[in-house]
Amino acid sequence: MDSKGSPLKGGSLLLLLLLLVSNLLLCKSVASLPICPGGAVNCQVSLRDLFDRAVILSHYIHNLSSEMFNEFDKRYAQGRGFITKAINSCHTSSLSTPEDKEQAQQIHHEDLLNLVLRVLRSWNDPLYHLVTEVRGMQEAPDAILSRAIEIEEQNKRLLEGMEKIVGQVHPGIRENEVYSVWSGLPSLQMADEDSRLFAFYNLLHCLRRDSHKIDNYLKLLKCRIVYDSNC
Amino acid sequence: MDLWQLLLTLALAGSNDAFSGSEDSSGKPKFTKCRSPELETFSCHWTDEVHHGLKHPGSVQLFYIRRSTQEWTQEWKECPDYVSAGENSCYFNSSYTSIWIPYCIKLTSNGGTVDQKCFSVEEIVQPDPPIGLNWTLLNISLTGIHADIQVRWEPPPNADVQKGWIVLEYELQYKEVNETQWKMMDPVLSTSVPVYSLRLDKEYEVRVRSRQRNSEKYGEFSEMLYVALPQMSPYACEEDFQLPWFLIIIFGLFGLMIILFVIVFSKQQRIKMLILPPVPVPKIKGIDPDLLKEGKLEEVNTILAIHDNYKPEFYNDDSWVEFIELDIDDPDEKAEGSDTDRLLSNDHHKSLNILGAKDDDSGRTSCYEPDILETDFNASDMCDGTSEFAQPQRLKGEADLVCLDQKNQNNPPYSDASPATQQPSVVLAEEIKPRPCLVGTESTHQAAHSQLSNPSSLANIDFYAQVSDITPAGSVVLSPGQKNKAGISQCDGHPEVVSLCQANFIMDNAYFCEADAKKCIAVAPHIEIGSHVEPSFNQEDIYITAESLTTTAGRSGTAERAPDSEMPVPDYTSIHIVQCPQGLILNATALPLPNKEFLSSCGYVSTDQLNKLMP
Repeated sequence: MDSKGSPLKGGSLLLLLLLLVSNLLLCKSVASLPICPGGAVNCQVSLRDLFDRAVILSHYIHNLSSEMFNEFDKRYAQGRGFITKAINSCHTSSLSTPEDKEQAQQIHHEDLLNLVLRVLRSWNDPLYHLVTEVRGMQEAPDAILSRAIEIEEQNKRLLEGMEKIVGQVHPGIRENEVYSVWSGLPSLQMADEDSRLFAFYNLLHCLRRDSHKIDNYLKLLKCRIVYDSNC
Repeated sequence: MDLWQLLLTLALAGSNDAFSGSEDSSGKPKFTKCRSPELETFSCHWTDEVHHGLKHPGSVQLFYIRRSTQEWTQEWKECPDYVSAGENSCYFNSSYTSIWIPYCIKLTSNGGTVDQKCFSVEEIVQPDPPIGLNWTLLNISLTGIHADIQVRWEPPPNADVQKGWIVLEYELQYKEVNETQWKMMDPVLSTSVPVYSLRLDKEYEVRVRSRQRNSEKYGEFSEMLYVALPQMSPYACEEDFQLPWFLIIIFGLFGLMIILFVIVFSKQQRIKMLILPPVPVPKIKGIDPDLLKEGKLEEVNTILAIHDNYKPEFYNDDSWVEFIELDIDDPDEKAEGSDTDRLLSNDHHKSLNILGAKDDDSGRTSCYEPDILETDFNASDMCDGTSEFAQPQRLKGEADLVCLDQKNQNNPPYSDASPATQQPSVVLAEEIKPRPCLVGTESTHQAAHSQLSNPSSLANIDFYAQVSDITPAGSVVLSPGQKNKAGISQCDGHPEVVSLCQANFIMDNAYFCEADAKKCIAVAPHIEIGSHVEPSFNQEDIYITAESLTTTAGRSGTAERAPDSEMPVPDYTSIHIVQCPQGLILNATALPLPNKEFLSSCGYVSTDQLNKLMP
């Protein structure tokens, strides 16, 4: 029996070993995974264009949100000490996004893409309400309002672009629309001027942060996917 | 309540001071800056405390706390590295650094918080300066004065640009070595940038600094790069020569002015002509219209003598005017003092002939009858003049045929006058051409004078035949002649006349004075032929051709055709050319006859007849 069992055992052992090694090899580098299923050339080219466009949009959104925040800070938040209090959590903090470079490098690009999508979806609602509430502010500052409107618009476009990218990179799998729910609307509509302004400040601060996050993730993904980590 | 508030604020202020530390406020350490060069680590710096008091320098500590997952519940932690970033600094390496996470740090001295700060790492990014600056020469301008260079550098080594974790943009500044102001270029994303238009004989300094895209704060400047361009070649052009536009304009204007003045003063007349071209007024070269209007006849004659075609022999005096002013309606008046008489009697009194016969039977001469000129000279153009003459003449019952304008159509009424009346109002076309007429007339005078024994008998005889119509071809239709010419009286009832006529007719003159024709015809059956001829003249025939006359004359009878020098020549000559300013040019025919008789009988003179007349 032993003679019979040992080859089998040996064979199975070898097979296991092979599987293990192959798994290890496969898991070694995220970058070595093929991005486009089937390896179609068209896919690669259009991915590059999509990513370029996405990076441009995310960069633009971050620019606008920075300017909007600075504008608001200059007009309403001076001397109120918001900054010390404003390290409130953003509604997107519940999404476990990588917080430094190592984590970002370790995460799989598909997951990262999905994360980006989630963050973008999470901001649909707040941006809409932001526009409405800024309009309702007394002496609605045009600089802030116009930028808010623009950000809302561009956010939608970026979301569409990202969904396309995901569709190309990871076709077939369509995850459920997961996103963080924003519940800050009541605080934006508070009667107390101070509290309301603080709520705005917070929202704008969070927007700036998240837009920077998304911009960074997308640039990272672009370099990784399109240029093979050699930007 | 006011008092309460005042007290409260005072208390707060006091507590603040107390809270900030027992030391003098001026000596408290403060955060100077916190900085992350690559979005992976960060460090914070603070000022050293100034020892004012007697107390020992307190140990300054930094505590930090970072918010994680919606809570501030964590404890303050102390700085992990006080050394790596230098003195009075705290260095957080990548394990302690989380991006997009709020941090709060506080500085304590002797247990008391002296400073506090909250931030996120992505807000404090200030990259390191680029490294590895170098430059290469791109090209040198054609003038050899300027050059372009390309400056390259490397991103800061600790910034992970390759993986796209951080995106940097760069700003280049350059200046000449001995200048103080830096020239700045726009931020670029690439790591090489061209610098244009550097002067070859100067040295430049170049420096670059970087910042994270979308941030506002730049990092430190890189090391200075010295650019020593190759020397200018000795054959290089001079310093950029700026055209002295001002001087050029001034001198240009000056030159133009000079040229203008020269032109204006040297060729005044021509300039005047160019600028103000004279309106052509009717005038003749060499003849002053004013003088003609007002001057004495002698003066006018003198003036006109300058004219080429002026021939003094054929002067015709005032009687011509009278001669022309025949009144058809009143034959009796005419009979009393016919112009012919006047002409014949008065011609020798005049010495000058204003109007010499022209070589060509142009009507031009006819315009310049002195009386006509005196009375109604207002046309320079001969035709116009003549036509104008025709007006008054027509009014007076005479027609102007010279220029053969349509006004001559008026003649037909006159043609209706019965020949029997022998109206002297017949006007030959040549009448208006006084020269030929005059020529003829004068000779006619001379001849007629001799011939006329009884002027009165010739009272009713006219030198002129009335033009009844003008053919399109230019032929003149004369009305049936009323009177025989003075010199034609010979024709009456003489067969010689017939022969004369014949001979005359044979000449190539297509026109005949009606009187001649008449008389020629009248030689034979006078009345018959007359009646014959008249209708033929009057009605259908537009042409009065030699042939027709000849035939008619022939009908009247044959006679010797010996040309007689004494015989009157046809009154008519064919009109060769009608040229308005020149009037009629009658066919030149080689006339064997002497001129005078020829001319005497006919109001028309052909061109070469005139030529023969005149030397």
